[in-house]
Amino acid sequence: MNTQTILKAFVEKAVISEEQASIIADYEQKKAFSLHWELRSILYLGIVLFSSGIGVIIYENIDTIGHQVIIASIAAFTAWCFYYTYKHALPYSNEKVSNPKKLADYILLLGCTTFLVLEGYLQFQYNIFGTRYGLAIIIPTLIFFFCAYRFDHKGALSMAITGLASWLGLTVAPLAVLSQNDFTDNRLLATAVILGSILCAFGWASEKRNIKHHFAFTYIFLGGNLAVLAALTGIFSDRAEFIYMLVGLALSVFFIQRARLTQSLIFLLIGVVYGYIILTHFIFSNIVSEDASFVFGTFYFAFTSIGVVFFLLNFKKFLGIKK
Amino acid sequence: MKKAYNETWIENLHILNKAEHWAAKKLLTREQLDQAEKAFPQQFYRPGIFVKIGLFIFTLIACSFASGFISMFIIGDGGQENISVISLFCMAGFLFFLEFLIKKRGLYHSGTDNALLYAALGAAAIPILSLFQDLQVWQFCIIFFAITYAATLRYADLLTAAGSFLILILMLGDMMMKFPIGKAILPFGVMILSALVYLIVKKIKSSYYHDCRKLIEILALATFYLGGNYLVVREGNAMLNDLNLPFAPQIPFAQVFYFFTIGIPVAYIFFGLKKHDRVLLITGLLSLALSVYTYKHYFSPFTPAQELAIAGMAMIVLSAAVIKYLHTPKHGLSDEQEGKRKLANLEAILVAQHLGQTPGEDGNVEFGGGNFGGGGSGETY
Repeated sequence: MNTQTILKAFVEKAVISEEQASIIADYEQKKAFSLHWELRSILYLGIVLFSSGIGVIIYENIDTIGHQVIIASIAAFTAWCFYYTYKHALPYSNEKVSNPKKLADYILLLGCTTFLVLEGYLQFQYNIFGTRYGLAIIIPTLIFFFCAYRFDHKGALSMAITGLASWLGLTVAPLAVLSQNDFTDNRLLATAVILGSILCAFGWASEKRNIKHHFAFTYIFLGGNLAVLAALTGIFSDRAEFIYMLVGLALSVFFIQRARLTQSLIFLLIGVVYGYIILTHFIFSNIVSEDASFVFGTFYFAFTSIGVVFFLLNFKKFLGIKK
Repeated sequence: MKKAYNETWIENLHILNKAEHWAAKKLLTREQLDQAEKAFPQQFYRPGIFVKIGLFIFTLIACSFASGFISMFIIGDGGQENISVISLFCMAGFLFFLEFLIKKRGLYHSGTDNALLYAALGAAAIPILSLFQDLQVWQFCIIFFAITYAATLRYADLLTAAGSFLILILMLGDMMMKFPIGKAILPFGVMILSALVYLIVKKIKSSYYHDCRKLIEILALATFYLGGNYLVVREGNAMLNDLNLPFAPQIPFAQVFYFFTIGIPVAYIFFGLKKHDRVLLITGLLSLALSVYTYKHYFSPFTPAQELAIAGMAMIVLSAAVIKYLHTPKHGLSDEQEGKRKLANLEAILVAQHLGQTPGEDGNVEFGGGNFGGGGSGETY
């Protein structure tokens, strides 16, 4: 099945005219090969590698004369990044703003990461924040929030959210929520649930109020993931099990509701998986006898998972999604 | 082998994909696209990737507990024969549901059918492994190749396609390892087999196997490159000959492998750009990265941090330069964005995963120094 045969079939079924077919055939022949994603991926990977590398280089050279040169050049570079972004920025709007400058987004991202490197160095070498670590973290966080809204940059937004979380002693990076957060600390667990829920509410509000509504996903995904994982940990370990369970279930319902409103299926998956785990845990924690739970478990998993499959096969009907 | 999915629908799916692309480029009007959708109907159930993942996970859970459920009744004394019978019984059940759901619910690689197929294949493997314990590796390879190949022909599944290719490579490796001369020319054997497979699958035109073909192309290109990669050959050679030295010794024909290590990625990228073949291009870029790593592994005068910074800088400068250069399309290449940014939201999450973690470590710096800016990437590429 190639272009020619498709076009022929289109003409036969009277979808398009002969002339239009020849225009399309012509377009297909002359069509340029797009390197858009390859180039963007290399650029992004370059930024990640560069900022990781440069961060370590500073510490390696900390006692040599060269380090001041490195610092000065990084500072200059960071300043240039922000200047470039500022110069080419479009006016602020509550709507989505797409900058026609192709590299502007990446230069801002680069500026933000090198800013972190710079700040970390200044703290290390000159101890400018003393022991007020909170201050050292909240400054970049505020800057990133400002950049995210002013220059309409989701990347800066997620860096800002990460910063906000680490100000409270938490990690929101999706793959590190469980491994890097110390959820044995009850206070931290509660903080995580509250922060996550606030972020979700914030995302929801920014959509309702139509202030940068495309930021909603980032808020809800990062915040919701944090909150629901913390709630899950709470259910398994904490004394306030029942409260965590209610919060977790509420979040699951919220996620499924999101899926319905924005047709973002990742939320459907998250909601279903977490909801299933929470309910399953609740049911099994109430069965005391081990034999009973084994026999019941075989039935339970066999039938409920079929039920979930059935739900997912028909989720549009159940949730009333039209398309 | 008769195909499991409705072929006309798959063809129509491809046609409509093409039509949507044209519509996005304003070559078709909205009405024409609607008309095309009517003229080329398809009724597959194809939810988004995340629902597919959910379907996949929950189907696997259902399969494993369903088989546990069945074995409660006929496990008997738990002997090998009994287990084999149960496996075959489960396999039949899984296959039945697979075919049933494909026919009735119009599944097409929707998660559930993938999971059922893998569950059936897994169930089929148990009796083979337990009843023919004395077979050689390559004999097992032949049996499993036959099974996965047949499954691929019928279901055009990506994992079985990849599996059958890798089993083929494993079989070649196992056979050649039996002879001293075979061990020595193993890299060339792998390269020749990969090249043959690549040339054969390149000839497949059917839309039914479109995705499988692409995947096998990628794998064949990758194994062809790995077969010729200096690092892989040198370290592999030391490993196969059980040399417990701190450094893998130099290999014979080193010049040839130097040439392959540099030449193959360059050739991939060149032909990828020339023939507008994305598979070649991306495999070429990845293999180029591995070639750089190979060079670094043996000859680099820099520390890992410096390498990261230099490599990152080079990538930034290079890609930025190319983006600027391709501002207007040149040489049949462009920087135009194709299609919607489907995963734009997830890209931002990626930033949180990779770049955002730094501030949290400010506090640690005082005490440990060390792991600054290590978000995700660390020492490795």
